Amino acid sequence: MAEVHLDRVGKVYADDVRAVRDISFAVPDRGFCVLVGPSGCGKSTLLRMIAGLETISEGEVKIGGRVVNRVEPMDRDIAMVFQNYALYPHMSVYDNMAYGLRNRKTPDEEIKQRIAEAARLLQLEPFLSRKPRALSGGQRQRVAMGRAIVRQPQVFLFDEPLSNLDAKLRGQMRVEIKALQRRLGVTSIYVTHDQLEAMTLADMLVVMNVGKVEQIGDPLHLYEAPATLFVAQFIGAPPMNIIELAPGAMPSGIGGLEALPMPPAGAHLGIRAEHLALATNGGVPPGGIRLDLAVDAVEAVGAETYVHGRLSGSGRAITCREPGKVMIPAGTTRAFTAVRRDLHLFDLKTGQRLPLA
Amino acid sequence: MVENRPWADLVSHLILLVGVVIVVFPVYVAFVASTSDMATIANGQLSLVPGPNFLHNYAQVLFHGTESSTKQPMIVPLMNSLVMALGIAIGKIFISLLSAFAIIYFRFPFRLTAFWVIFITLMLPVEVRIYPTYKIVSDLHMLDSYAGLIIPLIASATATLLFRQFFMTVPDELLEASKIDGAGPLKFFKDTLLPLSVTPIAAMFVIQFIYGWNQYLWPILITTRDNMQTIVIGIQKILLVTDALTEWQAAMATTILAMLPPVIIVVAMQRLFVRGLVETEK
Repeated sequence: MAEVHLDRVGKVYADDVRAVRDISFAVPDRGFCVLVGPSGCGKSTLLRMIAGLETISEGEVKIGGRVVNRVEPMDRDIAMVFQNYALYPHMSVYDNMAYGLRNRKTPDEEIKQRIAEAARLLQLEPFLSRKPRALSGGQRQRVAMGRAIVRQPQVFLFDEPLSNLDAKLRGQMRVEIKALQRRLGVTSIYVTHDQLEAMTLADMLVVMNVGKVEQIGDPLHLYEAPATLFVAQFIGAPPMNIIELAPGAMPSGIGGLEALPMPPAGAHLGIRAEHLALATNGGVPPGGIRLDLAVDAVEAVGAETYVHGRLSGSGRAITCREPGKVMIPAGTTRAFTAVRRDLHLFDLKTGQRLPLA
Repeated sequence: MVENRPWADLVSHLILLVGVVIVVFPVYVAFVASTSDMATIANGQLSLVPGPNFLHNYAQVLFHGTESSTKQPMIVPLMNSLVMALGIAIGKIFISLLSAFAIIYFRFPFRLTAFWVIFITLMLPVEVRIYPTYKIVSDLHMLDSYAGLIIPLIASATATLLFRQFFMTVPDELLEASKIDGAGPLKFFKDTLLPLSVTPIAAMFVIQFIYGWNQYLWPILITTRDNMQTIVIGIQKILLVTDALTEWQAAMATTILAMLPPVIIVVAMQRLFVRGLVETEK
């Protein structure tokens, strides 16, 4: 039973700066929650409030049903993995993992056994007597995770744990973290600015921006139905193409706009790159749209091809993702179409998602 | 440098050798003098080969003292100097570590004020505040005591500044990890900060030991009894003779003896000392 419950949590710093405001959500037991957002969005602050490294200015944090606002970090029954690992440089790998347990007066026998288990799980057995300095980045990362695991906490907190690793190792560790979390069944909260990491790890994705929650939900749901313009542009790579449709200033080069339920105040039209298909005939799909693009560059990466172009007339940059190999000479103009269910409309002012039946 | 240029090598070695000779030669002459007898030195016939009186001269100054001037065994001021230098070095390191720890890791009222007050003491060495310090020490009846020799010299900002600079480079995550691992402030200090500070502590120890060992003005002011005086004063007093020949061989033997402890400290701690000044263990 280790649900993490946040109720209207806020953080105000001494100089009246609000880092985080009015955040409420609940991470279910055994859930993997990822907080994602651009740097400075307050996601790390929120995690550190849950850890007890920052005071909670407003609201309540509950771990396993217990309000922990005034509980010291060590008594919150959490373990944290830091961005730069925060291993004690003067202690061996074994001592790094044992330190927290010794401070809790765990019997030596049990410490030994728990570390042996964690070391086996993380393939750290050959390194137990080494100093962190003598380990590679990935191994240090594993030690940091081992230190969290041996504590057998109710909640794991991860603060951008993979951002110091190279791309290949990052992908590998991502898979390992996910498998480990499944296996141990410990509720986890994970902070990252990398939307790919967020999408692949999360059961529950929390997208944050300037101290507020933009959307909470299943990662694929967020991808398919972003609640705001911000989420639409943040989740997914390449980011969703956005075309501004202001009343009286409709961009040229788009066909089919008259069929969209356009609010009088105008809207942003969003289309994902993979939903723009190279048109085979001159028509507009019923209810859908058609873009005439002046092609700037074509990037073939094997399984797919990225076409970078600009709306003829308005010059808005658009990226399309076509399956397989597509040959289009740069400088030519081509038509791309998208069907209605792949279109997204957002309010021009508030950025909120608009219904598009 | 990996280039192989024999001439450049030769020239640079020559320059280094000349430097070494300039530094070492006077010390060597002092050593030769300390092994000769009084008459040889007084005649100005000092050779460049050590004389026959090595054991005799050193035993004489250590355990009996000079014939004409102090007549005191030099082992006493040597021990006094050792106590004073160790007291100053250890005391300074202890106090500076704690105050730097407080300044960096605790938020208390007037924290910055405290820091600047410590900083200002850099500009107030003993020589500047000598009268008030003397007055305080004498009012506290600490004249002619180890406490009087050591305590006024302990308070200084250099070590505090060094440790503050060092602590600022220790990543915050280590503190946070300690907090989550259930270590309180003092446990963090003992288990994490101290082991990380070994090299700067060693560097500070070397510097402060030599500083304490070389003190002259302060000991000469507050010690009057012979058995409380330090070795630097001891040397000076050997040279004070009236109506007799200066016992240069004794003076030189004492000088060599006085040089030894700092040299031993530097040689023993050299590796830590250099590492402490140029890099940190993180």
